[in-house]
Amino acid sequence: MNEENLSILSLILNASVLVQMVMGILLIASLLSWIMIIQRSFFLGAAQRGFREFEDTFWSGIDLNNLYDELTAQVQEDGAGDGIENVFRAGFREFNRLAQSDKADPDAVMEGTDRAMRVALSREDEKLSTNLPFLASVASVSPYIGLFGTVWGIMNSFRGLAMVQQATLATVAPGISEALIATAMGLFAAIPAVIAYNRYAAQVEVINGNYETFAEEFSSILHRQVHSR
Amino acid sequence: MRDISGYSIGVLVSMVIHVAVVAALIGSWQPDTVQVMVQPQYIEAQLVELAPTKKPQTKTPARAKADSAKKQREQEKRRAAQRQKAEAKRLAALKEKQAREQEEKRRREAEEQRRRIEAELEQAMVKEQAQINAREDQRVANSYLQLIRQRLTDNWNRPPSARRDMETLIEIRLVPTGRIVGVNLLRSSGDPAFDRSVEQAAFKAEQFEELQQLEPRLFEKHFRTVKVAFSPQDLRL
Repeated sequence: MNEENLSILSLILNASVLVQMVMGILLIASLLSWIMIIQRSFFLGAAQRGFREFEDTFWSGIDLNNLYDELTAQVQEDGAGDGIENVFRAGFREFNRLAQSDKADPDAVMEGTDRAMRVALSREDEKLSTNLPFLASVASVSPYIGLFGTVWGIMNSFRGLAMVQQATLATVAPGISEALIATAMGLFAAIPAVIAYNRYAAQVEVINGNYETFAEEFSSILHRQVHSR
Repeated sequence: MRDISGYSIGVLVSMVIHVAVVAALIGSWQPDTVQVMVQPQYIEAQLVELAPTKKPQTKTPARAKADSAKKQREQEKRRAAQRQKAEAKRLAALKEKQAREQEEKRRREAEEQRRRIEAELEQAMVKEQAQINAREDQRVANSYLQLIRQRLTDNWNRPPSARRDMETLIEIRLVPTGRIVGVNLLRSSGDPAFDRSVEQAAFKAEQFEELQQLEPRLFEKHFRTVKVAFSPQDLRL
């Protein structure tokens, strides 16, 4: 074995087909998981920022009708709205519709409003946690895939070892080395995914908590309004 | 809208990260071959002339004569020195030659000695090999003798008159196929019935096919004639 044959590239190219397949899968998994990581990072950051901004304007004493009109106009401009604004709009729209009919029972109005906000909340939750299951899968599965490639490669290299008369370390070492690349790649894919998954899951939890708190507060405001009439 | 832009940035950054990692690995991850060059530490030796270099003499005409006389003396002295040196050289050469002869002689003796020791060693080894061979032969022969004895004992019908202290020694003659071609009574037990039973046992055994596997050399040495003693040791009286 001369030294050129031990460079990473040639080790990968000389690996058996199965090990190469494993490596390919891991590379793709790593690529995708990084795409998800970055996209999620933007998305969650934007959601958090949007929530803070919205809360500021909401508690600034603005007239809720004006706020609703503004947001609706913005949504019509942009396409689909995002985050907490959707919850607010869903609740407010439902409340107005129900309250406008004269024979509305205050409790029924509140119930309808709450339901509409719950639906919006769960939709938002869904949006926040898209792709997180994928990250979790990559995090937990890719070490195993890498390990499988390694075990397969080592198996083959030991089978080769059984064929030779004089077994030296040099006859197995390249095979084991190339097999271990698979494990390394598995870990390379898994570690960022684990970290990102944990971080984003916590972040989603926090944002959801914020949304729910806001929904409760908003609901209490509406409740006061409907009962003080 | 925002989703898509997020994804495209994600794709871009992810690609960049992976390409960078792969490039770093391929570019720089060769197995290190550390070459440690041990610098030999040597001391430089130089010949240094001890005598200080002569100062260039400024000859004045008045000292020229004295100079020439001095020169002549010096020349003479130099010649004498040369002669002495030649003599010394000759002596040294002679001594060297003697030393060389002695060295040669000593070496030859040592060579002789070594050859003798080697020869002895070889002889000893041959002897030992022969001993080992003989022992091995003996072992094989014993195993076959044991087999013959066993077979004969199996075929032996002792007469009722057999007693414990009786012993009959017979000699059976074999051919290389293992067949018994003759039985001789060497020493009788004193009881004709007992002797006859022993002879019957030998005839009944007829042939020992196992002996065909033996080397002819071993057969000739041990099995052309085999002496077997019969004595009913398991009887109570």
